[in-house]
Amino acid sequence: MIRELGKYLFLFIVLIAAQLLVFNNIDFSGYINPYVYVLFVLLLPFKTPKLVILVSSFMLGLSIDLFMGTPGVHSSATVLMAFSRPGIMAMYSPREGYQTGTYPRLEQFGIEWFIKYTVTLVLLHHFALFYLEVFTFHHFFSTFLRALLSTILSSLLIIFSQFFIFRR
Amino acid sequence: MRNLLRFIIQHHFLILFLIIESFSLFLLFNANPYHRVRFYSSSHKVSGRISNKMENIKDYFSLYNENQKLSEENARLYNRLKSSYRLVAADTIFEGDSLSQRKFMYLTARVINNTVNKQYNYITLDRGSAGGIEPEMAVISSDGIVGIVKTVTPNYAAVLSLLNRDFIISAKIKKNGYFGPLSWNGNSTEYATLVDIPHHVQVNEGDTIVTSGFGGVFPEGFMIGTIDHFRLKGGNYYEITVNLSSDFRKLSYVQVIRNYARQEIDSIEYSVNQ
Repeated sequence: MIRELGKYLFLFIVLIAAQLLVFNNIDFSGYINPYVYVLFVLLLPFKTPKLVILVSSFMLGLSIDLFMGTPGVHSSATVLMAFSRPGIMAMYSPREGYQTGTYPRLEQFGIEWFIKYTVTLVLLHHFALFYLEVFTFHHFFSTFLRALLSTILSSLLIIFSQFFIFRR
Repeated sequence: MRNLLRFIIQHHFLILFLIIESFSLFLLFNANPYHRVRFYSSSHKVSGRISNKMENIKDYFSLYNENQKLSEENARLYNRLKSSYRLVAADTIFEGDSLSQRKFMYLTARVINNTVNKQYNYITLDRGSAGGIEPEMAVISSDGIVGIVKTVTPNYAAVLSLLNRDFIISAKIKKNGYFGPLSWNGNSTEYATLVDIPHHVQVNEGDTIVTSGFGGVFPEGFMIGTIDHFRLKGGNYYEITVNLSSDFRKLSYVQVIRNYARQEIDSIEYSVNQ
């Protein structure tokens, strides 16, 4: 339990650092910015209490907000994503349900499940994020395009990361 | 009472979500330009040091371009030196003697953090109040204008980038002097929008847009960009899209301008408005 806690705390810090130092420096023509830190919310174990998911997601979003100087934008999008996580999981649940002792990871539920799961939640997060940041429907389609392209890039990065990092 | 408790326990997830989400949105809605800057600069006490280290490393990659730019600028400044001129008449008066008074002072600073991909972009400089930087000072690069200093700590300054929805500046068309407010439209890092130019003014693509010097922050005549395209808006005024001359993706060294006359200009404008 304690070991597990330490592992997720480590993931939390590493993802924030990676987001700030690496992924924030990636942007193609001001359109596509990957936000990979949401991987943390995706990977929390099934048995995590829902309240812990919400609070830790809020801390994650707030940390990113603090470093990027965007009050409330990332925290509200990440909390929304954390709130929808149980619903999305139920939606894609395998026929026999999620077994105890399993984790929401690629190697346990297969690529198809992981892609569906990742893309849905990342899409939700990115659309909330980009529209909250612009805070207007004025340039609706340019924001739409930014959110969509960024979702594709973030999802790709997240899915690829699974092949390298969490292979055990 | 018990029913209420049961309701809360049953829906605790939803209730906590609503509480946390409304707190986040409260942060977001309450963020007027002032708060945004405060949030930004306070967060920089934490991350300023890290950004500084990162920028130290990144600097090496742009050394070649920076040297090129600096040497070009040196050449330009040498050209303005007294020694570059020949005395043609004995009674010619040069700049810089006791008859002229200093109006602007230029300080150099290094960019240690800069974003271009948000709607409200800020730039952090490695020089603050201890280095003579104060709020409301203009920031330029060798290519064009960059932004306005918003807050300073002893060692760092937060600059409202031109690429910020809160940024607005008075700009004019260089060839005929018609002026209007220029702001960023939030779309591309390369373009800004100049409005309120009356329809009878002769406007051409490629015309130079410079600072008007109104407001006392920027000196007059600093390059902003060139006209990319324009259209009539509502029949009476042009909406001009300006191709910015500064490349905000490559900023590394900037100049901060102190206007010695600013206080006096402010006070006289204030007394008129009273």
